[in-house]
Amino acid sequence: MTSATTPVVHTAGERRRFGSVVWHVGALAILAVVLYPVIWVVGASFKPSKDIIASLELLPTEPVWANFSGLADGISGISISSFFWNSLMYAVLAVAGVVLSSSLTAYAFAKIRFVGRNLLFTLMIGTLLLPYHVLLIPQYVLFRNLELTDTLVPLVAGKFLATEAFFVFLMVQFMRGLPRELDEAAKLDGCGHFRTYWSIVLPLSRPAIITSAIFTFINAWNDFMGPLIYLNTPEKYTVSLGLMMFRDQEGISNYGSMIAMSLVALIPVIAFFMAFQRYLIDGMATSGLKG
Amino acid sequence: MTLVKEAPARPAGKRSAAPAAGRRGRRRENLAGYLFMSPWIAGFLLLTAGPMIASLYYAFTRYNLFTPPEWVGFDNFTTMFQDPRWQKSVEVTLKYVVVATPLKLLLALGVALLLAQKRRGQGLYRAAFYMPSLIGASVSVGFVWRALFSDDAIVDRGQKIFGLDVGGWIGNPDYVIYALVALSIWQFGAPMVIFLAGLKQVPQELYEAAEVDGAGPLRRFWNITLPMISPVLFFNVLLESIHAFQVFGSAYVVSDTRCGPADATLVYTCYLYQKGFKEAQMGFASAMAWTLVVAVALVTAVLFWSQKKWVHYEEAAK
Amino acid sequence: MRTSRNVERRTILKAAGATAATLGLAATTGCGGDGASADGTVTLRYAWWGGEPRTIAIKKTIALFEKKYPKIKIKPEFTDYEAFWEKFQTQASGGNPPDVFQNAVGFLRKYDKRGVLMDLKSQSDAGNLSLDNFRNGVLANGQVDGKQIGIPVGANTMALVIDLKAFEKAGVEAKMGWTWDDYFDALQTIQDKLKIAGDTGYFSIMYLYDLYLRQNGKAFFTDSDLGFTEDDLTQWWEDGYKRVRSGLVADPKKVEQVKPKSALSAGLAASEFTWDNFSIRYEGEGESDYGLAPIPTTDGKQTGQYLGSLMLSAFSGTKHPKEVAQFIDFMVHDPEVGKIMGYDRGILATTEQYEAFTPTDDNNKGVKAYEEEVAEAGVLGKITPHPSGADVIEAAFLRIGGEVAQGKAKPADAAKTLFSEAKAAFAG
Repeated sequence: MTSATTPVVHTAGERRRFGSVVWHVGALAILAVVLYPVIWVVGASFKPSKDIIASLELLPTEPVWANFSGLADGISGISISSFFWNSLMYAVLAVAGVVLSSSLTAYAFAKIRFVGRNLLFTLMIGTLLLPYHVLLIPQYVLFRNLELTDTLVPLVAGKFLATEAFFVFLMVQFMRGLPRELDEAAKLDGCGHFRTYWSIVLPLSRPAIITSAIFTFINAWNDFMGPLIYLNTPEKYTVSLGLMMFRDQEGISNYGSMIAMSLVALIPVIAFFMAFQRYLIDGMATSGLKG
Repeated sequence: MTLVKEAPARPAGKRSAAPAAGRRGRRRENLAGYLFMSPWIAGFLLLTAGPMIASLYYAFTRYNLFTPPEWVGFDNFTTMFQDPRWQKSVEVTLKYVVVATPLKLLLALGVALLLAQKRRGQGLYRAAFYMPSLIGASVSVGFVWRALFSDDAIVDRGQKIFGLDVGGWIGNPDYVIYALVALSIWQFGAPMVIFLAGLKQVPQELYEAAEVDGAGPLRRFWNITLPMISPVLFFNVLLESIHAFQVFGSAYVVSDTRCGPADATLVYTCYLYQKGFKEAQMGFASAMAWTLVVAVALVTAVLFWSQKKWVHYEEAAK
Repeated sequence: MRTSRNVERRTILKAAGATAATLGLAATTGCGGDGASADGTVTLRYAWWGGEPRTIAIKKTIALFEKKYPKIKIKPEFTDYEAFWEKFQTQASGGNPPDVFQNAVGFLRKYDKRGVLMDLKSQSDAGNLSLDNFRNGVLANGQVDGKQIGIPVGANTMALVIDLKAFEKAGVEAKMGWTWDDYFDALQTIQDKLKIAGDTGYFSIMYLYDLYLRQNGKAFFTDSDLGFTEDDLTQWWEDGYKRVRSGLVADPKKVEQVKPKSALSAGLAASEFTWDNFSIRYEGEGESDYGLAPIPTTDGKQTGQYLGSLMLSAFSGTKHPKEVAQFIDFMVHDPEVGKIMGYDRGILATTEQYEAFTPTDDNNKGVKAYEEEVAEAGVLGKITPHPSGADVIEAAFLRIGGEVAQGKAKPADAAKTLFSEAKAAFAG
């Protein structure tokens, strides 16, 4: 509290406060732009179905609940919750598959020296470049021959077989960044690769695993093409397919309920993201950063 | 693609070899390696390599999915190169890649720099900025985008203030591509997170030292931040360009499924999709897909080649 | 720091692993069977496209059927139009299409050529399916090369949907037998008086151009080719583009941005050509009142109209042809089914069903009155053939017409493009 130090503290504090104001103004400005479309969608979900297409207003003039309350009746005799359940099953299985298979593969790439590793790694990275359309038809024929269409198997098989190269890559990079002393110590203790993987590397790779889980969940939840091609029974449809049932090219489309349902469909994704997003940065931290 | 090999090769080489392990140990390592890899190998053979070879074969055939493929040599490719719609789709895609990727990365980097500062509410902002990426290419994105960029909607009104009246972007073949670009930029969450991760790893001491030397914020950004995060930047450029080349969903929903008007949002995969799944010209579609694979591989190769000139790998970065 | 939390992490991941394993097992048990079960019950897959009202109605008719035929179970599959045909193509190419499905004229030859469709004549001969009592000769809509590969469920025809309020306000009237000149004069009056466009973009609609060609002794298709010349089409599109520029036809940029709403219900124009059974959408989307008006003619008489149909078709490889035939028979002849379906898929195709249903709402009444008026005028002709590839050409016509409207393609070049794309579509 001596008067001599006061002016110094004062100017530094002021500068910091000024910086803070600028920072918040900037962040808020970006926030406004980023959230405007989201608010529009929320607003639209309270507009009468007729007014949604080509409506210019951000918010409804007279909010209606009909779009949401209509969801309770289901669509075409199918309850909306069944779409959500199907999507959830798909997303959860996808996450489980990606986490298990990608971490196993990544462990091999990062921690085991075996013949042909570099070649396989190159092949794996190469699959990142493939547009998935090129594989769609041959894969469909395969699953049909196995009589597995109209099940979740074709949708999640690839996840359990580590075909999502990006996540394998992410985990490889992360595992390489782990202190080598740990798994060498494990080896000295007589741990085999599986023990090392399961008890040491896997728990330590949590950020990368959760990051992969987040992306997998979002991708599976939003996937349209896969369910469109493989699922036939409407009761097995995911949310993304269910949404299309509100559309009617020859009659009256129910855009109100469509937009309301797409909004409700956002909730699980947001919840999942919010729950785990704090790991996202750490999970990304080592991906591609080191040579 | 061979350039990619460099990445795994380095740590492998550095690894201290276990001296006493001997041949039996190596065999066990091989066994363990392939055991761990077995799901991936099965997936690769069954779901990637097999279908890839099939589609490579289709690329040289006429194949309508029903009658067996009929060998036509390079016909699909010659037809494709002369096809005005194919040319249009290449033009649209290139425009999209070249405009959207840098803008999206620039915004992602800018926002990441902002969020890298320790401030109250930082985590909340980060989550909120990621929100658009969660929505993906949902139908509601289609609705809102068409509404925002219509005549006399908010964007148009904003433009008119600056005396630019184009009457809405969505219906105008000359502008609708920028609505797509805007959508891509809006979903800047993923590269932002990657940038944040990179920024977090820049040692604080470097900045403190620079500040002592009297370097201003711009100098510090240019001399410290940029070189230090150049590997992340490279990773983002690579990832986002590949994604941009393969863009489909956003074009599909923004154009209300038609990739129009007048083919103005006919991105490459949209044309591929129309040819393959609407017109059942699988041979042509496969030829298109393989051309895209080659193009993306070339771009990747060029990026990898260029990284030697501008990407700084700092061994001591940790 | 990291190792200290190891135990906690390990347990979490173990738990996650266990859950995944259980779920994985659960997933593999969900496979469906393919037909007959132990007690002789047969399951048929029935697929259609359409909105919620159609689906609800069809599900009711299925329940009726299952009550009457307790040994046959129907497994419904339904989506919207776009998804339906994509799904159908993938399934059919894999030898796995539904046993019975809704079909349209434009797809008959395409899937007949690919061997997907069953000739239902043999089932009719076997007494499982009656081909009697179809109205106005619509049964022919399902015939290709002497085979009966589709059984019509309804009949529809092209119509001009007009904004009644706009027409009244402008003081113009749509009359049977009016000519194209009358029509465009009316649009001009509307444009002058109401400051809105007259039409939403008639020249991109393949089925309307077909009518115009038929009025002039041609047709859009022959059995295997296009039925007009590049010059014909150039002329048609040149006229169309002229009318876009003069504002008689709505600004294509505005039409585009109100999609998926129709430009007519968005109030951008006062009339639009479409199939009469689609007209219900305008009431649902728009603020005005809408009605059906006659197609303009070239000679003051012939509209070139014909009755089209939605149909039911069967998969040639079905394991249960007899049951499939019985199902179709029930769906097209049973009066109760007619009462439930109404005019959702067009005016009911058989006399049993047509007589069983009396429309009570304005839209259905309007459609009925319209088709009766057209039939009475004696303008209905034989349906234009639809070669394999017709569906692809219809989409191309719409797209290229849109380019003309936007001024992005010269009519002559656009016509050339359509011809070259049509060639590829026929070959596909």
